[in-house]
Amino acid sequence: MCDAKALRILFKSPVTDDMIRFLTNTTLAVIPCAKDQRNAYPSPPNSPQHAHKKPLPSLMTFITRLVRYTNVYTSTLLTATCYLHKLQEILPRDAHGLPSTSHRIFLACLILSAKFHNDSSPQNKHWADYTDGIFCLEDVNLMERQLLELLDWNLRLEEHQLHDSLKSLLEPIKYDLQRSRKIMARNNYHQRNMSACSSTSTLLGTPSLQSLKSLPSLPRLPSLPSLAASQTLPNKLSMDTQMYLHRDYSTATLV
Amino acid sequence: MAASSQFKQLEKLGNGTYATVYKGLNKTTGVYVALKEVKLDSEEGTPSTAVREISLMKELKHENIVRLYDVIHTENKLTLVFEFMDNDLKKYMDSRIVGNTPYGFEMSLVKYFEWQLLQGVAFCHENRILHRDLKPQNLLINNKGQLKLGDFGLARAFGIPVNTFSSEVVTLWYRAPDVLMGSRTYSTSIDIWSCGCILAEMITGRPLFPGTNDEEQLKLIFETMGTPTERTWPGISNLPKYNPQLPQHLPKDLGALLQSQTREKMDLTLIDLLYGLLQSNPDRRLSAKQALNHPWFAEYYQ
Repeated sequence: MCDAKALRILFKSPVTDDMIRFLTNTTLAVIPCAKDQRNAYPSPPNSPQHAHKKPLPSLMTFITRLVRYTNVYTSTLLTATCYLHKLQEILPRDAHGLPSTSHRIFLACLILSAKFHNDSSPQNKHWADYTDGIFCLEDVNLMERQLLELLDWNLRLEEHQLHDSLKSLLEPIKYDLQRSRKIMARNNYHQRNMSACSSTSTLLGTPSLQSLKSLPSLPRLPSLPSLAASQTLPNKLSMDTQMYLHRDYSTATLV
Repeated sequence: MAASSQFKQLEKLGNGTYATVYKGLNKTTGVYVALKEVKLDSEEGTPSTAVREISLMKELKHENIVRLYDVIHTENKLTLVFEFMDNDLKKYMDSRIVGNTPYGFEMSLVKYFEWQLLQGVAFCHENRILHRDLKPQNLLINNKGQLKLGDFGLARAFGIPVNTFSSEVVTLWYRAPDVLMGSRTYSTSIDIWSCGCILAEMITGRPLFPGTNDEEQLKLIFETMGTPTERTWPGISNLPKYNPQLPQHLPKDLGALLQSQTREKMDLTLIDLLYGLLQSNPDRRLSAKQALNHPWFAEYYQ
């Protein structure tokens, strides 16, 4: 009972920095990814035709921007965690990713969460826009298709999966619910005004995306990079070293 | 996952909500299938309708629900491989129009179809899935008289607190009054209303409430079933599109109305079942399970 109530409270609260941190850590745990090239060996700058590509932001920045641009529901956002966990179970233990793999995995999970759980959801074209030029439409379509294949279209979730996946976010709410119930029992006084919602809002932290206030508003769709590369990509998921060494992260496979 | 080369594409069977359906032959097994081809629009990606139809139908294995055998997903095309069915209920009804006069089915066939429809719906609801687009076109039949639910493009899972529901669901003629008034908190009762409309249509051969827009649809419903009030339907005035100026109609005798459009004698139990399915107040509508236990179906349960 308490579990179900805590979940409803969590889903009704605004997206917090804690949630974004939680999503970042969950995504990073799915598959080890190579560090961004900036931190690796010194290497010459990209060839001129790739010069317009934006550097890969940290996963946390990437998620924060997506949340800000899309105004995604808390429930849709957090439910993506279940798909991240499913993926973690499916992927072979020795799987490795590119620097951008965690970004792809997160975005694909979020897109499928939105498409499965809401009657209206953004098109992939819009999702590509929301990445600020990190991924183009072809990338987004490819990562979505690959995730569907990996999950074998099993997108249906049961409530217990949400409880398991969101445990660390639910614990403080449950603790707070139990405490307020105890207080109420002790006082033998049912305070109608003290809704569980208001009593937990403090625990959930400031609903702040304030740190992002300085972000520019949604930029226009960047011009699509040459499609030649993405058209020749293998349909099947590829773990081979060639892909791993592939430098151009925007056209690489999901994992 | 199958390869598309495994199937030979035969004649076109029709256009679905977002796809074209062909008859196909599985070259390895010699079994006929229905191939539902969804053209992938690159801007949209995989359509959410397909995402839901596939993920929900994969699990639904029941003799009154069309089986999804396989999915073939390529860059430009998504093909759903379904169990082949000979016909749909709409085409079958149309084939019985003589001149300009529609004829309903024999009562025994009406009962057998409605029983199977409710079995399929009950199974969906047990599995916490709403179909949300039940209508004769989406009910497939075969030469053995079997009826199966198809086209889950609007279907949704319910029961977890994630999600927003739209009231833009169900084809107008089969849409429940609470949904017409903008309810987004509907549940299984949304499908039951459609089952009631389909039952009446099978009896007379004519759609029960053939409205052309939302207001006319509500008007047609209330003219026959009576205008609901806060007394017959507590909470109705809180619905987003509730109109307090609705003309007040008294309920008509639905039995007499339908009887005038069919030759066969209608049982009192049948009329009672129709009223159970076509309650304007969603809370008063029968569940699929309750409907299956209704006395009209007594001959089917031992």
